[in-house]
Amino acid sequence: MTAVLFILFAGFAVGCAISMIAQRNPLYSAISLIGVFVSLACLYVMLAAPFIAAVQVIIYAGAIMVLVVFVIMLLNVEQEERVPTRLRSLIPIAIGLAAILFAEAAFIIFFVHTSPSTPTGNTSDVGLTSSIGAGLFTSYLLPFEITSLLLLMAIVGAMTLARSGGLLPQSAVVVPGYQVLAKDVLDPHAAPDLTPVVAHTTVEVERLLGLENAPHLRDKG
Amino acid sequence: MTPQLSWYLALSAVLFTIGVVGVIIKRNVISMFMCIELMLNAVNLTFVAFSSFFRDVSGQLFVFIVMTVAAAEASVGLGIIIAIFRNRESLDVDDASVLKL
Repeated sequence: MTAVLFILFAGFAVGCAISMIAQRNPLYSAISLIGVFVSLACLYVMLAAPFIAAVQVIIYAGAIMVLVVFVIMLLNVEQEERVPTRLRSLIPIAIGLAAILFAEAAFIIFFVHTSPSTPTGNTSDVGLTSSIGAGLFTSYLLPFEITSLLLLMAIVGAMTLARSGGLLPQSAVVVPGYQVLAKDVLDPHAAPDLTPVVAHTTVEVERLLGLENAPHLRDKG
Repeated sequence: MTPQLSWYLALSAVLFTIGVVGVIIKRNVISMFMCIELMLNAVNLTFVAFSSFFRDVSGQLFVFIVMTVAAAEASVGLGIIIAIFRNRESLDVDDASVLKL
């Protein structure tokens, strides 16, 4: 019974993976990849790992693939155009190497019987959330903390990469405090003259820029 | 007949190989990114299979950490993809062969 389920889910996973490669539209391959993730979650349930199965569905099929689909929609990706295959002479060599690899894998699977054959039962508490949490907060505490640092770095990196332009928005006119203005900001005729003009207060900057009558620009803080 | 450990390892190897093939033959950078996710999932399947058959919880903790790395990779990688698209108006990796924006 479990063998039938394994063949069903494994076949679905491999089929979705091949479909992901064969699709030319990235949106369709993203949907195929979600199929792979869901069938892998079913295999995790068969392996008595319900926590990992739930996390697989929530994080992979939920968060990551939603992010990918969001980027695909945002960038409005067109279909890949078909380009002629380069290095056509290497195709028979590739087929030969693939056959050798397949033969090696088949040899290992059918003739080497050193793998443990204990079936996974429901009596084990290995895959339960409590045992995973206990392991995560006792013997694997340092990797857990490093993971949090990694996530912080990812947040900062993604924000830095996705931000456009400089530090200030285009509408920033007056910044309170000690600041240096280029002279051509104040006087358009002095464009090549790059001597900086130093202002010490917001009011002084406003007077230099001729903005005394624009109180909405003043910093409320 | 119950599934053996070697079945799961064979499935994982097949999925990983499909992911490698996808990274090699795809030119769209988002498709390559998804193939990398597929390879990470194949390795996760190996971890969970060993963890379940050897009755050791360490493999599932590694899967948890791999998922975290995958989430971080997704956020930073998609940020890089958006930056490349903003600079080059293209998602073809051959257009981004010079490693600067």
